[in-house]
Amino acid sequence: MFPLKRVVAAEWLKLRHSHLWIVLLALPIVSVLMGCGNFYMNQGVLQNGWYSLWSQVGLFYGEFFFPTLIAICCAYLCRLEHSGKNWNMMMTAPVPVASIFWAKLLTAGMLTAFVQLVFALLYIIGGTMTGLSIFELPEELFGWLLRGWLAAVTISSFQLALSMRIRSFAVPVGIGLGATFLGLGMYVAKAGLFFPHSLLTIGMGVLSPESLPVQQQLTVVVVNLLYTAAFSAAAIYRLRTADVSA
Amino acid sequence: MIRSIWLECYKLRRRYVGMTVLLMIGVEMGWAFMASSMSIARNPDQASWEPLIAMTASLNGLFAPILAAICVSRICDMEHKGNTWKLLLSMSVKRERLYAAKYGCVALILLLACLVQVLVMIGFGKVNGFEESVPIMLLGRLLAGTMAAHLAVIALQQWLSMALHNQAFALCLGMLGGFIGMAADLFPSAIRPLFIWSYYSGLSPVAQSYAGNQLEFIARDLGTELPMIGLLLFIGLLIYGAGRWHVSRQEV
Repeated sequence: MFPLKRVVAAEWLKLRHSHLWIVLLALPIVSVLMGCGNFYMNQGVLQNGWYSLWSQVGLFYGEFFFPTLIAICCAYLCRLEHSGKNWNMMMTAPVPVASIFWAKLLTAGMLTAFVQLVFALLYIIGGTMTGLSIFELPEELFGWLLRGWLAAVTISSFQLALSMRIRSFAVPVGIGLGATFLGLGMYVAKAGLFFPHSLLTIGMGVLSPESLPVQQQLTVVVVNLLYTAAFSAAAIYRLRTADVSA
Repeated sequence: MIRSIWLECYKLRRRYVGMTVLLMIGVEMGWAFMASSMSIARNPDQASWEPLIAMTASLNGLFAPILAAICVSRICDMEHKGNTWKLLLSMSVKRERLYAAKYGCVALILLLACLVQVLVMIGFGKVNGFEESVPIMLLGRLLAGTMAAHLAVIALQQWLSMALHNQAFALCLGMLGGFIGMAADLFPSAIRPLFIWSYYSGLSPVAQSYAGNQLEFIARDLGTELPMIGLLLFIGLLIYGAGRWHVSRQEV
């Protein structure tokens, strides 16, 4: 079996009985519930149908809670390694060091994809329940979700690099939260492409739900890939060169 | 008791808790000052303390629950991670006192954070040349309201952080608390008091209301605020008591 496949299987094994799914489900549910409630109460002002609903449910989810949820997931993926002598065991396992990081990133990618799917499903259910027609779903929806997920993978690589370095569970989450607000500032200053957390705002179109021009869509994808490569390279380099503290 | 609190503070050396708290307060106040500066640039007559206090109180609704969750998780997780509960319990100190010491330590850290927040606000007002003198009473009420909400939130977070090893739940609750704290003003007034996170903005000494197209800031009556603080402290005490009772009887 390929080493990466074995390490990914080990990551899933470690997630068993963690009840992480409760955390993964709680935030999209609360975001959609409150967004739909606000949309329903203010239908006189919010008259752009699905687009208005997207701005309501997506604002807090995409702007604040999804990045923090990613930070929590990444901190959890590294939590077991930081207890006991588990880093020593991981580093002496007969697998390439890089595959330890890639396996965590893949697992984080799968978890965030699950969250995005749940969010999309709840958005459609919520919209239908507030009286919107399912046949008029925005054609940009798939693009929003996909680009949002790409940005989520980028943020995951950043958070994993932090969580593998910092033993505390809460500190990387706090740093991630600070970065979220910095990302909002960068977006407002029209420099969103230069900061990973702003890429989520741009990709999911939560502040401006109109569709992005093709060139900008490509730029968002390329910048995401560049950031992911840079954070991953830094994390793997550190794993290879610095001693672990068990 | 003071020695136990001091011991908890001592254990936090080189754990960058202070830096984390200052970073978050810095981001929050940066946001508040940026919004206030923009507002003052548009309406120079709004260069006064009331809008700044109202803005800070409503941002506290978002930031303070998460800050409290991070601090409490940090102070409880070090015992889980280092597997030091048995070591700690082998001291001739009751479990209840250890629980109280951790609570006191976090409350002290957050009190200092609130004081820093107030001092930074005074600095902002002075730099921007607010004409009125520093409203000690309003700032004191903001401090008291924020701390009352903190005391209840810390009690809930500590219960969760100590009862469950997995800190993801505690931080998720903190995040949900931030969400509720931020959106609390949109809730119907009948259900708003049920959420302890809603009191960060609910106990703001300055209320905002629209008079036509103009946003107005009015100082709230102290008489309506005091019973709310009393109720919140009572709820906090109940949560603290339940958490202490539950955690003290858990098997290590």
